[in-house]
Amino acid sequence: MVSITITNLTKRFGDVVALRQLNLEIRKGELFFLLGPSGCGKTTLLRTVAGFYQPEEGTLHFDSQDVTRRPPHRRHTAMVFQSYALWPHMNVFQNVSFGLHQKRLPSGVIESRVNKALRTVQMDAYATRRINQLSGGQQQRVALARALVVEPACLLLDEPLSNLDAQLRLEMRSEIRRICKDAGLTTIYVTHDQKEALSIADRMAILENGDFAQIGTPQEIYRDPVSRSVASFIGESNFLAGRIIEPTKRLGFWSVETNAGPFEGRITHPTWRPKFNDRVSLAIRPEGFRMVAEKPPSNSVQGRIIRSAYLGEIVQYWLDVDGLNLPVQISCLNPRQIESVSDKVYFAETRPEDVSILSS
Amino acid sequence: MTGMKKPTYNGANLLFALAMAFFAVFFLFPVARTVSEAFFVNGRFSLRYVMDVLQDATYLEGLANAFRLGFWSTVVAVGIALPLAILADRFEFPAKRLLTTLLLVPLVLPPFVGAIGIKQILGQSGALNSLLSLLGLVNLDQPVDWLGQGRFPGMVLMTALHLYPIIYLNVSAALANLDPALEEAAENLGCPPGRGFFLVTLPMALPGLFAGCTVAFIWGFTELGVPLVFDFTRITSVQIFDGIKDLGKSPFPYALVVVVLALTATLFFVSKRLIDGRDLSSSGRASTGRQASRPLHGPALRACLAFFICITLLALLPHAGILLVAFSRDWYLGVLPNSLTLTHFQEALGHPITLPSIANSLRYAGAAMVLNLLLGVSIAYIVVRTKVRGREWLDVFSMLPLAVPGLVLAFGYLAMTREGEPFRWLVDLPPLIPRESPVLLLVIAYAVRRLPYIVRSAAAGFQQTSASLEEAAANLGAGPVTTFLRITGPLIAANLIAGAILAFAFSMLEVSDSLILAQEQRFFPITKAIYILFGSLGNGPFLAAALGVWAMLFLAVAIIGAGFVMGKKMGALFRI
Repeated sequence: MVSITITNLTKRFGDVVALRQLNLEIRKGELFFLLGPSGCGKTTLLRTVAGFYQPEEGTLHFDSQDVTRRPPHRRHTAMVFQSYALWPHMNVFQNVSFGLHQKRLPSGVIESRVNKALRTVQMDAYATRRINQLSGGQQQRVALARALVVEPACLLLDEPLSNLDAQLRLEMRSEIRRICKDAGLTTIYVTHDQKEALSIADRMAILENGDFAQIGTPQEIYRDPVSRSVASFIGESNFLAGRIIEPTKRLGFWSVETNAGPFEGRITHPTWRPKFNDRVSLAIRPEGFRMVAEKPPSNSVQGRIIRSAYLGEIVQYWLDVDGLNLPVQISCLNPRQIESVSDKVYFAETRPEDVSILSS
Repeated sequence: MTGMKKPTYNGANLLFALAMAFFAVFFLFPVARTVSEAFFVNGRFSLRYVMDVLQDATYLEGLANAFRLGFWSTVVAVGIALPLAILADRFEFPAKRLLTTLLLVPLVLPPFVGAIGIKQILGQSGALNSLLSLLGLVNLDQPVDWLGQGRFPGMVLMTALHLYPIIYLNVSAALANLDPALEEAAENLGCPPGRGFFLVTLPMALPGLFAGCTVAFIWGFTELGVPLVFDFTRITSVQIFDGIKDLGKSPFPYALVVVVLALTATLFFVSKRLIDGRDLSSSGRASTGRQASRPLHGPALRACLAFFICITLLALLPHAGILLVAFSRDWYLGVLPNSLTLTHFQEALGHPITLPSIANSLRYAGAAMVLNLLLGVSIAYIVVRTKVRGREWLDVFSMLPLAVPGLVLAFGYLAMTREGEPFRWLVDLPPLIPRESPVLLLVIAYAVRRLPYIVRSAAAGFQQTSASLEEAAANLGAGPVTTFLRITGPLIAANLIAGAILAFAFSMLEVSDSLILAQEQRFFPITKAIYILFGSLGNGPFLAAALGVWAMLFLAVAIIGAGFVMGKKMGALFRI
């Protein structure tokens, strides 16, 4: 188990800057997620930690050791590849035992450790199977066992669940967290699935064009997005354009005038502070609204329902609000009745804590 | 579910029937007929002739020599091709594209034509001895026999130089197809890069290597042209060739052919068994970009370049020899020809054999290519895209010509077109075909033997093209023919073009069919013309060389063209 320190890390491919002056510290035993849209650099960062890419600038430390120039095979990272990269000419046991053979352990030790690893991923009955006889989910478990069995300094997961069906994905993600925590592994997990990240991450980083947009716990990222792009990448958000009026009595809260009326909201960026009349965006989650019977004095929208979607645990409505270009999306939990599309005007209210004021 | 109609493939069923009929008539029937001639004497089954062959010292020696030729030329070819393929896959060096393309040059020259050139350079009175004597290293009164006693090492060299590109293409295709994450995973688990290559990458490239070796061995085992040019008669292929003269009288040529067929077919099926289910090269490419092959520097770069250049020069030696012979007025005991001339090219074009033979070859190879494309695309389509019952058999049949040497098939055709035999009509079809013309026979023989390459490349095209693309066209109202012409055809065009070019080029180079089936001078294809010219007195060998240069130029353009169209995928054509 190690901590991973990334300092001023820059990686270029020709003229393209894939990673830009990154700084990050991942703590011992932490389950850390890298998230971002395709091409944002998350896999590049992971492969740089594994040593498959050499950064042009900056350093990488495992604990206090500088490993920036250390070749991949001497880093003691264990990676689960997106394609799994299981060797088709070896069976399950041979795949999993490979890393232990590289450490020249006695065969008795190898056998017991491989069997233990296979038990952990519930694949002990398949030790002699060939790789092409396994389903996608089974291959994923073997790839995980192959990485875990070497007791690596850190575990690197590159979209390990992307090839699995939805049900298996749900099972495996809590399984992965349990395994990582039981073994106390420092883990970097790359994904573009935000549910995966929110549900099991200790902390996560959002990458955008090779740069960190935000680093924090799932709750911080979801509740306190620092930019429009983070707010729209993680979860769904309604964005309302507005102008700053003044700070309110509560520290960090400001009043904002929008086309839909006055709002009070919170600055979620740690350092940015607006001035009077600055253009800002308000980000409000669909579940941050609540349908009310009468028009509240502020922090509310009113309009006709133009569309609804019933998802079981929630129902989503789209309200056509006067003065706004886009309909406002509202979710109601545990719906017992569903409002229909009609000319009736509905009111929806939100609390100042649920309104993020972002520089637009 | 009563309304559901089972999908029917009326067109496909018809194609299937036609393709199967073609195989039955022009492949299975002649092979079976040859086999039965060896076993049935005067209508009675007998093992006598086959046993006699296996007990005859001359035939046994011939078989042993054929085996040795196949074995050693495969070993030498692997020794050349494997390091080259590994170097080219893993490292980056200047002029890599040029050097790897030049490696394919030996494909453009039938090895027996190259043998004419190499004799002029490495023979006892050849250029190398003259050069060494100028340097005072060799006394010309006791020249060194570079080609070895009995010419055997020379034959191995010539055959290996012709075959190594096939193995090279196979191995590079296998290496190129591997997911680089497979080796990265090994490195990630603590395995140093060099060891990872041997533990992970090489084992997965083995099926490709093995497939190439099988094709190469069968090729070398039944090579006819090289032993003929080297006057090496104690080898099975030449013994069969000589046996054609008394085809009507003796069952021994049949028996010998059956023994050869049994050996090659066994080898083919054993190795196919070993490879099947182990073909790992298609394990999918990774989503992550392949790490660029590493650039080489300093001594490693120089060694790598030197190796490539040495092999290329060695491979070009026969071509250089042929070229020099073609330009020389007289060449005996000199490093270079005593004086150069263009007259052979002129005379070659004026000679009654040459121009017609070029025209004949173009005609035969062109017709064979068209037949190949029609058959190959149909077979690949049926095997990959339809569920026609029995399509697995079609797949197996279409690969069988790799197991059956050209020598065997040509022999069967010739035996069956004699007076009163079932294929007589093929050579006697006036007014379409002049009497005793082997046109149809040669076209069919060429086509059958090249079919595996076309089927392979078309099938690869179909597999790489998602069936949903065709379904989308059908969904929008396009019939099967329109779909093929507008959607599938254009998408697999590169594969078809490359396969067709190769089929055409190899048909032009075909030796055993041409030597055996073309009996009359006016029907000679190029290879037979070169062989006859080489054996004739006077300036014959010079004319043969000049004709060889024409053929070489022509085929070089064709094969380099195919290489550019297909890139690394070309290796996939030489699988079994």
